[in-house]
Formats: sequence, C-alpha cells, structure tokens
Amino acid sequence: MKKYSLAIIAMMLISFLTHASNEAYVKAMQKELQAMGSALSPEDLQKIANGFARIATMAPEEWLPEYYAGLALANAGFRSQGGIEEKDTFFEKAKKHAEKAASISPDNSEIVALQGFITMGELAADPNSRGQHLSAQAMQTFNKAVNLNRKNPRAVVMLAQMELGMAQFFGQGPEKACGLVKTALDMFEKEEGLESNDPLAPKWGKDMALQLKQTCQ
Amino acid sequence: MKIIVICCLLFLIQPIFAQSTIKGLVTDQRGQTIPGVNIYLKGTFEGTSSEIDGTYFLETEERGAYILVFQAMGFKSQEFEIDLEGKVLEINSTLKEAINEMTAVTISAGAMEASDEKKAVVLRPVDIVTVPAAMGDIIGAFQTLPGTSNVGNDGRLFVRGGDASETSIFIDGLKVGNAFGTTASNVPTRTRFNPNLFKGSFFSTGGYSAEYGQALSSALALKTVDFPVRNQGDISLMSVGGGLTQTLAGEKSSLTASANYFDLSPYQSLIKQNFDWERAPFGWDAEISARQKWGKSGVVKAYLHTESNGMKIWQPVPGSEDRGQLVGVKNNYTFGQASFKQLGKNDWSYYGGVSYSNNVDQFNLDQLQVRNQNQVLHSKAVAIKGFSDRFSIKTGLESYLYTYEEQLLSEGLSRDYQDHHAVLFTEADYYVSNKLILRGGLRAGNSSLAKQTWLDPRVSIAFKFDHDGQLSLAAGQFSQMPVEQLRILDQSLHNTIADHLILNYFLSKNGRTVRAEAFYKDYKKLLTYEVAQLFPMPIGFDNIQQNGEGYARGWDIFYRDQKSFKNTDFWVTYSFVDSQRKFAHFTEMVQPGFAPRHNGSVVVKHFIQPLRSQLGVSFSINDGYTYDNPNLPGQMNSKTKSFQDLSLGWSYLPKPNLIIHLACSNVLGRDNIFGYQYANVTNEKGVFEGNPIRLQAPRFLFLGIFLTLSKDKTANNLNNL
Repeated sequence: MKKYSLAIIAMMLISFLTHASNEAYVKAMQKELQAMGSALSPEDLQKIANGFARIATMAPEEWLPEYYAGLALANAGFRSQGGIEEKDTFFEKAKKHAEKAASISPDNSEIVALQGFITMGELAADPNSRGQHLSAQAMQTFNKAVNLNRKNPRAVVMLAQMELGMAQFFGQGPEKACGLVKTALDMFEKEEGLESNDPLAPKWGKDMALQLKQTCQ
Repeated sequence: MKIIVICCLLFLIQPIFAQSTIKGLVTDQRGQTIPGVNIYLKGTFEGTSSEIDGTYFLETEERGAYILVFQAMGFKSQEFEIDLEGKVLEINSTLKEAINEMTAVTISAGAMEASDEKKAVVLRPVDIVTVPAAMGDIIGAFQTLPGTSNVGNDGRLFVRGGDASETSIFIDGLKVGNAFGTTASNVPTRTRFNPNLFKGSFFSTGGYSAEYGQALSSALALKTVDFPVRNQGDISLMSVGGGLTQTLAGEKSSLTASANYFDLSPYQSLIKQNFDWERAPFGWDAEISARQKWGKSGVVKAYLHTESNGMKIWQPVPGSEDRGQLVGVKNNYTFGQASFKQLGKNDWSYYGGVSYSNNVDQFNLDQLQVRNQNQVLHSKAVAIKGFSDRFSIKTGLESYLYTYEEQLLSEGLSRDYQDHHAVLFTEADYYVSNKLILRGGLRAGNSSLAKQTWLDPRVSIAFKFDHDGQLSLAAGQFSQMPVEQLRILDQSLHNTIADHLILNYFLSKNGRTVRAEAFYKDYKKLLTYEVAQLFPMPIGFDNIQQNGEGYARGWDIFYRDQKSFKNTDFWVTYSFVDSQRKFAHFTEMVQPGFAPRHNGSVVVKHFIQPLRSQLGVSFSINDGYTYDNPNLPGQMNSKTKSFQDLSLGWSYLPKPNLIIHLACSNVLGRDNIFGYQYANVTNEKGVFEGNPIRLQAPRFLFLGIFLTLSKDKTANNLNNL
C-alpha cells in the first residue's frame, strides 16, 4: 500500500511539475507572441526571436518556439532597410530555426509555409538575379504546404500572392489568384471562429489576404 | 492532494523577496558593442536581449546558483556561473567571433564563381544561357570574363596567354576528357554539354587549389543540378535542330533523360556561308542523369552522355584556285560518371567518384584516313576533416588512366600509348579570423609513361577589409603533360610547367561587383619542334624538344552592376596580357596568335516588363591577333586588324512555360580576320600567297523556342538554374 501511495504521489508530482512547466511554457510563449504583435523594427523582432529561441531550449520537443523564432526573423528580413547582405543574414537565421522546427515536426504544413515565406523574402531581397529560380521554388513550397493541409490559410494566401505576381508579369487575368485569396479569407474567418483553438497556434497572415483582396478589386 | 503539493512547493520557493538584477555590456574582441545578443539563465525561461548600444538588463526572481549564457549568431557562446542573491550583478561579456562561412573571407585570387549559394560570385547560372554572344554555349559566357581571350576561329577557352589545351574541365570534381567537340581547323567548336545541366561553376584563371592538376593555365569546375523541383517535359525547337528532355522528380531521387539533334544544312542553305561545305555539321546526342539521396546527408549522382557528329568541308589551299582539300570529320564521344558526397561523424566529410570519357575521331584528308581514340578514366576519393571551425584539412587520392591510339587506316598502321597517373593531394585551410585565411596545398603525382614524379606546391592568403572588399594573393606551381599528338611521338616527354603569382581585389556589395587582378605566369619546359605541314592539319613533327619557355603578365578589371539602372544588369571587362613564348615551331620568343594584348567586353541585359522580354547586348573587342607572314623577316611578324563583335539577343516569355529566344552575332557584319594561312611554297613571283582566316559566316542567327510541360504549367526551362 505504501508503495502504491508513493507511486501515486510521485506520478502526481510529475504531472504537476509538467503542468507547471507547461504553464510556464504557455505563459512565456504568450508573452513573446504578444510582443511580436506590436514589434515593427528588425531589432525588436530579433529580440523576440531570441525569446522564442530561449523557450525552444527549455521545450525542445515543441515545434512552435522554433517556428516563431523563424517567423520573427523572416519578418525582420522583410522589414530590414539594409542591403541584400543584411536581409540575407536574417533569412539565413530564420531558415535554421525553420529547419529545426521541421525536424521536430516533419510534414507540418505551417512549417513548410514558413519555409516558403522565407524563400519569398530572399526573392524580394534581389528579384533581378533570384527571381528566375526562387519564384519556382517558392511556388513549389507553397503548393506542398497546401497539399499537406488544405485548410492552412497562410499557405493558400502566399500561394495566391505568388500566383498574382506571375499573372501580373505575364499580363494574364488575376482570376485564379483572386479565387485563392477569397478561399484564404474564408479560412481565416473560420480559424477565428474556432473556440477550441490552441492559443499558441499560428494565426497570422490575414492582413496579407486583405491587402491582396484590395488588389483584386 | 494536489493542493497539498502546491502548498509544499510554495513553501519551498517561499523566500523570494528581492529580485536580482544582472546588467552589463556585450562587446566583441575589438571592443565594438553587439546588439541582439540572447542572454539567459540556463534551465529557466528568464532572459533578455542586448540593446543597440550593447547594454543589457535582466531582472529575475530566481535565486541560487545559475549559469548565465550569452548567445549570438557569428559568435561563440559564453557562459558565466553566477549566484543570485537579490543583489545587482554587473557582468560584461566579450564574445569571441566564430568563423561564419557566409561572411568570412574567401580566397578569390584567380577564381570566378557562378552560383546562387555563395556571395563571392561573378556570374549567376542563368547568365550562362542569356549572354547573347554565347549562343547557349557555356564557354561563350566565360569569354566575357576577365582573363580570357576571344579566339573566334577556335571557340575554346584561352586564358591569359595560355593555349586552349591549358584549361582542364571538370564535372562534379571529375575530369572530362575532350570536353569540346572535334572540328576541322578554323571551324569553331562548342562544349558538348547542355548548359541547363549545370547549376554552378567555378572558373579559375590561375592560382587554383591543389585539388586540380594537369592544367597549366586554368581549371573550370562545373557542378550539376542537384534535385529538380518537379516532373516536367521540355521541348526545344531551334533554327539548327531540336531536342526533348523529360524530368522525373521524386522526394529522394530524380531522373532526367534527353535527346537532341542538330543539322546546320537547312540553315546554311538559307544564309550564305564563307566556307565551302560538302556536308554541313550535323549530329545527335543523348543524355541520362540520375540522382539519389543517400542516408541523411549523402547524395549519389550518375550521368551518361553519348553523341555522334560529323562534317565535311573543302579547305582552300593558299595559292590555288580550286576548291582545295576535302576534310571529313566524324566524331563519336561518350562520357559517363558517378559521384557521391556524404557527411560523416566528427566533422568528417567525403566525396569522390569515377569518370570515363571515350573520344573517337575519324579524319578523312583526301585519300588519307586517320582514326584517333582518346580515353580517360579518372577516379578520385577525397576526405575533409574539420578540426575546428578555423582549421580543416582536405586530402585526396586520384588515379588517371590515359589511353591514346592513332591509326592510319588507309595504310594499316597504328600506334598507341597508355599512361597512368597516381596523384595525392592535400590542402589545409586555416582561418586566423573571419578576416584572414591562409591556405597551403601540395599536389604530388607520378606518370608511369614519362617515369616522372612531381610535386606542385600552392599557397594563398586572403584578407577582408572592414568595407567588405578583400585582397588575395596566390602562388603556385602547375604541371601538365604535353598534348597526346606529341606524346605519342616521344613518350619520354615530361611535364610542362607554369608558375603563377596572382594578386586580386574583390568587392561585391549591394548588387555591384568590382574585381581587379594582376598576374605573372612563368612557363618552363614548353615543347618546341619542327613541323612539315601546318594546314589543314599539322603533320610531320620532328626534333621534339622541351626547351621552350615564356611568360604572360598583365592585369584585368571587371565591374558588374545590377543596381544603378532599373531592370538593367551589365558588366564591363578589360584584360591586358603581355605574353611572349618560345614554343611549337618558333625558334625565338614571340607573342602567340591566341594572346591579343588588349581585350575588352561589355554585356548589358535589360528587362522590359510590359513586353515580358529581356534584351541582351554584348560587345567584344581586342587589338588583333599576331600571325606569321613568311614574306616578311622574323617570326610572328604581323598582326590582324582589331576583332570586334556586337551581338544582340532577345528573350521573350509570352507564357510562363514558353521562352522564345532570338540572337544574332556580329550584327554589324564586321569582317573579322583571325590570321592568315600561307602556301607552303612561293608562287612564280617569289611570294607566299596567303588566305585570311575568317568565320564561317559574318553573322550567326539563332532562333529557339523552348516549351516546358508540367503539372503546374508555370515552370520553364530556366527554373532549375
């Protein structure tokens, strides 16, 4: 009997401790996510990425901290006013985090979409010499992300962005791209409506869809 | 129950009253502050980042012994053991830089890279197919780079006063024998390989790594495409032929197969030619390449290329009015290779492979039938060990088996030789810092035929300035066996030798690239001989000796700009070469016919968005080629007028998967002359009569339509580059 109660206590203690560390994890994640919502400068985004990287060392089995560290650095790359080299440094760091996330959670549509987003950033840093091969690569990656999860609005909206660029370049109609934008917006709304939603799950990208919608009108 | 435990724990961590504060400054070894450093207490969620001025401030409620970590990309992490007892701690950290492959100095002396991966590149893979004068030939694009001379009637690569045989070509690190198509004299040749096959290249005009040998002047290392992104079919229709390519791409493996056919007769029947063709050049080729991922990080690649082509041409004999001599060329060629690379444990990595090339030429000169066969079997295994992020050693073992056979079919005579080279090379790289790298290498070889053993030392050093420009210096010795046609006559011939000294400045920043280089090259043990006849094929060599010598010195400059003009990318090159050598049938130091002193080129590519078109213009110029006029005293006593070529290209993308490419060389129709060919005997007036050597036609017009079929309909021919 004594043995059992000890075991029970030990189990409870473990469950409590993991719960406590889980709570700390969620709290830490939410703090950084909140900061990311208002961060604008590459410097601030770098700090937030540092925050997520700290969480990642504490929670090595979770893919989200690595994912968000990558996302923050990708955004820093997009926002950077520096030259190609500076932007590339951000994207290079972002890639490393995305790769780590992918090794924790393989075939994850959100991570694949983030990898496409980083490729898009590298393309935007030097479109003249990278356009040719990176546009194909980005397109390919977004297609893969959509195929992994047809309900991932971020994958769909970024695919729409690439399709729109392609259509504009070739003077074709934007119908296909705009159709995708509409689908993505519906998905974003559904995502917001979900009560049971994981508070830490990726939710960004709606403003991109809204912006594209304006181009479509 | 749970509540009790919580209470217990609360009691355990009760004594928190005062917060601890840690603050300080993070700098690098030179005292400059570092922003964005991740600073945290190991094993907790507590942490912060350094500010733009390098300061940080961390407040924590933790107490006890902890480890404070400083972490930033590009630096080695630093840890401090600290005691948190509710007080203010001041900890300043000086981070040591880590060697960062992305931004660290690279050795750029002699080297020009075309790739998407590295920063120190001069060309992008896509440039190779879009330089108008290149006409889709890999070499055509390199001819617009510094250090090369445009020798239009040959078509091969001539680097800094070196002849074409002084450049060796490698695919995925393995030697390619007879990389250029066989041709009749003064009919320019092309590389055999489809430019779309390669995703990067490393072109060195001297001072290169100990990994490459048997090349006096230059090494061109081409890297094949890794993994294509999708299944696709490519159809090409050109004014000179057509081809089909099918690509199957999987997660772990891929297969590409292609077949091409060309025949210049329809084109030549439409456009007047300078040459008197009996049969215009024609040929076919077939290629298969396969790639397979191996384990977690390994890749195995295999590639097979086979082709057959021919031509028949009447070559005028100086001093005679009739059609001249009929030269027939038939060529069969096969190249196959398999290569691998793999990352091992403990910072070991390995690569290597085997390549085989077999070239069979059959020449018909009037009644004379000659058959030459050249085979090269190359195997290579390389291991790299990284001892730290600063120091690594690369060691490789190579074996080359050269077999050459000449047959005089009409007379039933034949002769051949076989030569085996065993080679060992080793090279050490040491980063003193991100700004300074030293490299030293040794290449040792032994030839079974020449019974010679040699040792070539190579050193280089590079320094990167704060403004990101870098200065490199390279020196070394380079050995190469003489060409097959002479070795078969005298099998005791030893290596010819060149010593290189190169000083290079390179800066690539925000879409602009400047590269300036000065060089000195000293040739020793060059071959000299007497020759009975030079045209249309050199035959009757006699008195072969290795007492030739020479030098090439000069400088070149390259500027590329993708930034200053919207949608425009251009580069400008000027190369000065002062070269004199005693070689071949010359008995004194002369300026070789393939080494013009002043060489320049300009390439402009402009994208016109509303037309979805890229316009390309390239202009090449040099001050003329020296040649030997037997009517004048001395050797190499004359010079042609300046060579000039203005080429235009237009690429149009009407649909995402369709490319239409139109190009025309020498738009102005300038009558370029590459030298003169003189009669072997004087005419009745006592004068050697000469014919100018020209191109086959003043202009070459190229029209190509490239259609790509794939599931997503947006892919095209260039996407894999």
